[in-house]
Amino acid sequence: MGVSGAWLRVGGGLVVFVLVALGGLSALAGLDVDAALDRFALVMMVAIPAGVAVYALVEYLQTGRLDSITRQFDTRTLVLMPVAMALNIVLGTVVASALKVPIYLDSIGTILVAALAGPLAGAATGFLSNVIWTYLAPPPFGSPFAVPFAVVAVVVGLLAGTFARWGWLRPRRGASGRQLAVGGALSISALIVMTLLALRVWLAAAGADGIAPEADDGAFLILGWVAMSLIVVTAVGLVVLLVRRRDLAAAYILLAGGITGVVAAFMAAPIAASLFGGVTGSGADFVIAAFRQAGADLQQAVLGQSLISDPVDKVITYFVVYLILGAMATRTKARFPQGQYLLPAAADDDDPAVYP
Amino acid sequence: MTLLYIPERRAATPWHRLDPLTRLTVGVATMLAAVLLGGVICPLLLASVAVVLPAALAGVLRDVLRTGLLLALPLAVSVVIVNVLFATGTTEQGIAIAAEVVVRVLTMAAAAVLFYATTRPSELVASLQYHGASPRLTFVIHNGVAMIPRLAERAREVTAAQRARGLDTEGSWPRRARGVLAVAAPTVLGAVREVEARTLALETRAFARPGSRTVLWPPHDTAGQRVARWGILVALLVLFVARISGAPLPC
Repeated sequence: MGVSGAWLRVGGGLVVFVLVALGGLSALAGLDVDAALDRFALVMMVAIPAGVAVYALVEYLQTGRLDSITRQFDTRTLVLMPVAMALNIVLGTVVASALKVPIYLDSIGTILVAALAGPLAGAATGFLSNVIWTYLAPPPFGSPFAVPFAVVAVVVGLLAGTFARWGWLRPRRGASGRQLAVGGALSISALIVMTLLALRVWLAAAGADGIAPEADDGAFLILGWVAMSLIVVTAVGLVVLLVRRRDLAAAYILLAGGITGVVAAFMAAPIAASLFGGVTGSGADFVIAAFRQAGADLQQAVLGQSLISDPVDKVITYFVVYLILGAMATRTKARFPQGQYLLPAAADDDDPAVYP
Repeated sequence: MTLLYIPERRAATPWHRLDPLTRLTVGVATMLAAVLLGGVICPLLLASVAVVLPAALAGVLRDVLRTGLLLALPLAVSVVIVNVLFATGTTEQGIAIAAEVVVRVLTMAAAAVLFYATTRPSELVASLQYHGASPRLTFVIHNGVAMIPRLAERAREVTAAQRARGLDTEGSWPRRARGVLAVAAPTVLGAVREVEARTLALETRAFARPGSRTVLWPPHDTAGQRVARWGILVALLVLFVARISGAPLPC
C-alpha cells in the first residue's frame, strides 16, 4: 500500500466532500430553509458521510479490502471506546448541569480515541456517545438534547484523529531556542486573545442585571470563577509546558484546539439556534443572554457564544488528552492503531515495524 | 446496574412485547418529526399519538410525563428567558418562538424517556444483533451504557480513598477545586489502564473472530412491525422533502 494510494483515497474523499457541500449549498439556496447557517449544518450532515463513503470506496477498489478503516477498530480500541464514551457523558453532564460553566468538556473521550486509534474511530466514538447520551444513558446522566449534536462530535473526532496522525499531539521536548521563541510568541498571543474575549463576555454577562434570576449574584460569581480558573489553569499549564519543559507541543495543542473549536462552533450554533431556540440548559445560556442583551439576533448570539466557548473548550480538552497520553505507558500507547504518532519525535523513524 | 428502566408491573404489555428496534424507530422518528413539523399543534398531536398512547399502553404514562417534564424544565426556563425577556423583536414574536421550542423540547424529551423507560439496553443490543448489526458495534454500545454508572462508582471510590488520606471535599470553593484533580486523575487514568487487561481477556475468548454470532434471545419481530418501521421511515422522508420544499404546515 503505497503513499500515493493513501493520498488518492484522502483526495477523493475530500473532493467529493467539497463537491457535495458546494452542490448542496447551491441546491438549497432557493429553498425555504431558515438561514444560511441552517443550510450549512444540513449540508454538512450529507457531505461528511459522502466524503467518508468515497474514501472507503476508493480504498476498496484499490485493495479489495478496507484495511485502513478496519485497522482503526481493533479489539484494544473497541475496549477503549466504551470507557471514552462514558467519560464524555459523565463529564459532559457534570459540567453542563452541575457546574453550569459555559464550556462543555464532553469530547475528552472522543479526542482520546481519535488520537490513539484514528479519525474514523474518533468519529464513531463521538457519534455513539451522543446517541447513547439520549437513548440509553442511565439517570441522572441521560439528556434528550445530545443526539442532534452527534454530527458535531463526528467532525471533532475526524479532525482530532487527523491532527494526531500529523503528529500534533506528540511531545516535542528539546526544541531549539528559535522554534520555542516563535511557537511561544504565537501561542501566548493566541492565549491572550482568547482570554480577553472570554473575559469581555463574562464581564458583560456579570454586568447585565437579571441574567441569572434563579441564582443570586454570589453563586454567579463563583460559577464564573470556576470557568475562569479552568481557563487560567490551562493557560498556565500550556506556558509551563512551553517554557519550563521546552515542549513545543503546547503550540500544536493550541492550534488543534482552536481549529477544532471554530469548526465545531459553526456546526453546533445553527443546530442549537434552530432546534432549541439557542439554549441547551447549560452555563452557555448566560453568554447567549448577554449577547442578546447587547442587541444581537438569535443566530448571531448563538454563533457568538459558540465562537467563544468552543475554542476554549477544545483547547482545554486537547490539553487534558495530552496529559492523559503523557501519563500512559509508551508501550500501551504504541499498541493502539495510531500510537506511533504519539511517541516523542526522536523515537519515531516512520517505521511502524519498530512497534509491533 | 441502576437504570431508569421500569420493570413491567403486570405481564408484558403489548408495547413491551414489540421488537426493541420498532420502539427505537418510533422514538427516533418522533424526535425527528417534532423538529420537522414545527408550530405548536402538530408536535402536540404527534406527541399524543406517538408518546402518550404507547406510554399509557405500557402503563408508564405517569413516569414518562414526570421525567420528561423534569428533563425539559431547565431548558424550557432558559428558552423563555432568552426569547421573551431578552428578545430583540416584539414580545409576541418571542412568546411564539418560545412556545414552539418548549413544545418541541417536551416532545423530544418524552419520546426519549418513553424509549429508555421501557427498554433494557441488553434487549436492544440483542435485537440489533438479530437484525444484522456487527457484534463489535453491539459490544461497544452495551459496554458504553454499562460503563457510565461504573465510572461514577469509581469516582466515588476514589473520592472516599482520597478523603481517607486527608483530601478536603467540604471546605471553601478554591479548596474543593484543588481536590478535583486528586479525584479526576486516578479515576480517568485507572479506567484507561484497565483497557489493557480487558483487551487481553477478550482476545483470549475469540472476541475478534469473524462471522456471525447466535442470538440467544431473539426479539418478537413480526411482518407487521417490519412494514410499520419502513412506513415510518418513508413518512419521515416525505415530511422532510415537503418541509424543505416549502409546503405549508399541515395543522
